[in-house]
Amino acid sequence: MNYERELLKGSTDSLLLSLINNQPMYGYQIIKELERRSNGYFQFKEGTLYPALHRLEKAGLIYGKWQKLPNGQERRYYYITLKGQKILAERLAIWQDFSTAVSLIMQPASN
Amino acid sequence: MVPIKLSYFENLKRYLRLDPGLEGDVIKEICTHLEDRSHELKEAGLSEEEATNIATRILGPPQLVARQIYEVYSQGTWRQSLCAGLPHLLIALLFALHFWNNVFSLAIVLVLVVSVTIYGWCHGRPNWLFPWLGYSLVPVIATGVLLIYLPGAWSWFAILAYVPLVLLVIISVTKASLKRDWLFTSLMLLPLPITIGWIVALLGNTNLLWKEQIQHFAPMIALSFSVLAIAAATFIRMRQRWAKFGTLIVLESIVFIMIVYAGKSSVSPVTWLLIALLGLFLLIGPALLEQNFTRNHSKPA
Repeated sequence: MNYERELLKGSTDSLLLSLINNQPMYGYQIIKELERRSNGYFQFKEGTLYPALHRLEKAGLIYGKWQKLPNGQERRYYYITLKGQKILAERLAIWQDFSTAVSLIMQPASN
Repeated sequence: MVPIKLSYFENLKRYLRLDPGLEGDVIKEICTHLEDRSHELKEAGLSEEEATNIATRILGPPQLVARQIYEVYSQGTWRQSLCAGLPHLLIALLFALHFWNNVFSLAIVLVLVVSVTIYGWCHGRPNWLFPWLGYSLVPVIATGVLLIYLPGAWSWFAILAYVPLVLLVIISVTKASLKRDWLFTSLMLLPLPITIGWIVALLGNTNLLWKEQIQHFAPMIALSFSVLAIAAATFIRMRQRWAKFGTLIVLESIVFIMIVYAGKSSVSPVTWLLIALLGLFLLIGPALLEQNFTRNHSKPA
């Protein structure tokens, strides 16, 4: 399996939590936002988004709620829970330490 | 609805196998996603059919999406797992503590099994209900058998009224469990070949009286139903369908070997083979029945 896919697989939950933490979103909006904010780098397989969202919901990290849009259509918005915020903060701290350590080894020129 | 979209959601529904409420929510959510994507593609100049075609392709195969969502919800809690193993454990306890010949203990177990089944049936048919449901059918069948052996008008009553009624009940219960998931039907029928196996083993042993035989085999019978309890509990905790099915087939085979070992001297190999085939049929049969139902349902009018 390719390295990039493995990296994405390991970071999916954190990416989703991070986006939902900024503002409640529905599935399609999450896909578009991931693409936009990563300048097209993250092109999620759309069908795999919902299992990931439902997994996070079952773990109590987010919760979904049907809401009506101004045009009368309904969308299932996801909100982060307190538990989700706590897990996100922990993961962010780990990620920052990890990324700093990797940079120190892979880009040592500045030392 | 565009045919490709219709077919996509039919397949998605077929493989999701979730509680009806949850299933409706998941389908609605994915449907809105598909509509958003199709709308965007139509705005880019594609026809409705082309847009739906591409949108479903981007979403991925419905079987894969359904399987991944199924695996999120398929793992029951430890409490549900315990509830699913409990009816088998009750039967095991009856034999382990030699309460099987005490009418009062049998009545308590019977009332408990029927009450829990009715409660579960009226409260959304949760995953732990199906082993209880299987045991609830046993007294219904046993009463029919008893009625047939009664003299005079009772046997006619049994043949003309009770047996058709029982068949109707069994068919509707099986249909209802198949609608949910064929694996639950296999779980429900799990004790049937084991019970038949023990009856055959006990009937074949003519050296001892019936009561003495049960007394003699009680520890083994208790052990076999304890293994069934482990099978039901493990089934609930497994996520993947193949693992659930594997648990049932492996643990039932172990129990079957135990019964054959206990009654080997008195029963012919052909009889054991027939019981083994019945067990296999009761495990795989529901899958075939479900396929048949689905095919009949999806046939165009």
